[in-house]
Amino acid sequence: MSTKIDKIILDKGVQEYKSTKSILLQLRDIPVRTEKDDGSEEAPCVSDEMKMDMGKNTMHLVSYQGEFLKPCPGTKEYICCGYQILNVGTNCPLDCSYCILQAYFNRPNLRVHVNLEEQLGQVFEAIDSEPDKIFRVGTGEFTDSLALDPITRWSEMILKGFSKRKNAVLELKTKTANTAGLLGSKYRDRIIVSWSLNSPFISRREEHGAASLTRRLECARECQSEGFTIGFHFDPLIQHRDWMDEYRKTVDLMDRYIEPEGIIWMSLGSFRFMPALKPIIRRRHPETSVLDGEFVLGLDGKMRYFKPIRMELYAFLKELLHQWHPDLGLYLCMESNEVWQESMGWRPETSEGLRNYLDERVRNFFG
Amino acid sequence: MKKEINNITELIPQSVPLRNIDDSPGPCCMSFGFDLNPLIQSIERVGLINPPLLKRDNQGSITIITGYRRIKALKSLHTDSAGCRILSGDNILQVECLLLNLHDNLAIRKLNDVEKGMVLVRLIPWVKTLEIVDHYMPLLGLPSNKATLASYLKIEEEMEVQAKESIAHGQLSFRNAIMLLDIDSISRSSIIDLISNMKLTVNQQRQLIDYTIDLSHVEGRSIPDFLDDQSIKRINSDTRMNNPQKGRALIRYLRMKRYPSVSKAEREFKKMVSRLNLGEMVRIDHSPSFESPYYRLEVLFKDGPSLRGKLENFMREDIDSLRDPWKKKR
Ligand code: SF4
Repeated sequence: MSTKIDKIILDKGVQEYKSTKSILLQLRDIPVRTEKDDGSEEAPCVSDEMKMDMGKNTMHLVSYQGEFLKPCPGTKEYICCGYQILNVGTNCPLDCSYCILQAYFNRPNLRVHVNLEEQLGQVFEAIDSEPDKIFRVGTGEFTDSLALDPITRWSEMILKGFSKRKNAVLELKTKTANTAGLLGSKYRDRIIVSWSLNSPFISRREEHGAASLTRRLECARECQSEGFTIGFHFDPLIQHRDWMDEYRKTVDLMDRYIEPEGIIWMSLGSFRFMPALKPIIRRRHPETSVLDGEFVLGLDGKMRYFKPIRMELYAFLKELLHQWHPDLGLYLCMESNEVWQESMGWRPETSEGLRNYLDERVRNFFG
Repeated sequence: MKKEINNITELIPQSVPLRNIDDSPGPCCMSFGFDLNPLIQSIERVGLINPPLLKRDNQGSITIITGYRRIKALKSLHTDSAGCRILSGDNILQVECLLLNLHDNLAIRKLNDVEKGMVLVRLIPWVKTLEIVDHYMPLLGLPSNKATLASYLKIEEEMEVQAKESIAHGQLSFRNAIMLLDIDSISRSSIIDLISNMKLTVNQQRQLIDYTIDLSHVEGRSIPDFLDDQSIKRINSDTRMNNPQKGRALIRYLRMKRYPSVSKAEREFKKMVSRLNLGEMVRIDHSPSFESPYYRLEVLFKDGPSLRGKLENFMREDIDSLRDPWKKKR
């Protein structure tokens, strides 16, 4: 995937960060604009909400003032895996039609938190302060973990710290083939590289700018043979014409490329979205089929497939994957005990139950 | 601001031939979708009370600053001339005229949503976005944010007259009109026709728009083609139903098409419950779209013995047959 960055914006005061300098060096031919104190008056008729491109070609270097490490915002209505997000930046150069980041119009541009390196000390302090807790940390919630890695060199920055700790793992979640930085590093321990997968139909039609499924799996194989632990995420699962055959094709492809014993976990999550995202998807991706299913209002205020449809999706994938290998660390993302039981044949009872299950996988893989 | 503008009331009205006044909706106009008749009747009865304010440029052309409706009413009464106040010269800024008209209007009436959009569009070239949001939107009774501003601008700039009329006359809610901005004008007008014919409620309008857009995607048909459906036509032309009944029938039909599995589960559940002899004071409901794992039992009773009686009757029913409707019978 090649990024098409054609503009850089520097927030006030970010010039001095090491990351800023390195990014500017990488992108030395791209015009740079520095944000002024007063903020420039924007074109009068265009509100943020109406912007269509989300600033995917603009890299905005900012000094992030919030907390870098934060728990994933689960809800009490569904079982949450207790993931921690390392907030390296927001927005993504890929353009999946179903991406929830499209609803964050008030924050356009590829925002890179250039003070990350300086703040990592605090992140690790927080991790070290709870030695008995396992921190499963990922950077792929508000952006793709590796899409900008050739420019931002996030992986270079953060791998070492995680690799050294006994109570944390770092997961880099991607749909790209940008693994060169990872493969060039010497750190393997406690690093998980994972790919989001979908059916070939969805991948082709809806994941704009992402690497093909085959390419993703080739990279996964390479990472696996280079000593990385890998993971996969079937999220969002989308019901579409011939979805069973289509998802089967993906699992067949996985079988061709991947050693299943080296997979730490695989999540299954059906497509869900805040109601406000729907008109945005319609506007930005008029040809999409991701909204075609029967979505109902979930207990957390998000739209999700009607319950028996979700159960069918999960049960089918579970069966398929289970046949491939019985110990893949399958889990459901944001689902109820009822759905767990019906589709997976067991239930974690509580979010803590799911956390324990995944923590145990970490212990089994990394000690 | 020009001196006379601050002292408009001191300008002596002059008789102006109405044929000399350009009454096309000009850059100060903020009137749309109005009924001229009450004003015509009032002028017929008591004459013109407030003189319109006009602008005459150095070439002698006369445009309306305030009193657009009054001039229209006078013209339709075939009046030859009327007493008007006149500001002369080329150095009167358009924005000054616009603000005069805005304040004149706000003092005497409530603008409809289309008119609010007209005001905002006319302010854009003159006033900074932030000032419009912070000052003028609250003045118009609108929430002070850019997203709302953008919606009003879009409605004014992109909507056809038919759609604007439906908004101005309260047939189409503003929020629902925004949903229609994302589809082409022919599709828009076919939906608005249906809304107007059946006089759908705000909630029904929202559902109609949402289901229609979704179903046209799912079925790969254009919206006009989709709405040309025989069942929809039958509902629309059914003389045995009044408008509220037609509205409900239409939405029921579309919902069944849009949510076949949910509708089927609801029907099955209803059937299951109706097989039990619960009486009038006992109800069993499912959660919205069955999302919660729990069902609700509601019993109305007067006192302990009556509750006991109802529960005993209830327990005699085949309650074991109740299950999630998508699950196979035990
Ligand atoms: S890769 Fe992830 S973050 Fe990027 S556009 Fe797709 S869904 Fe959004």
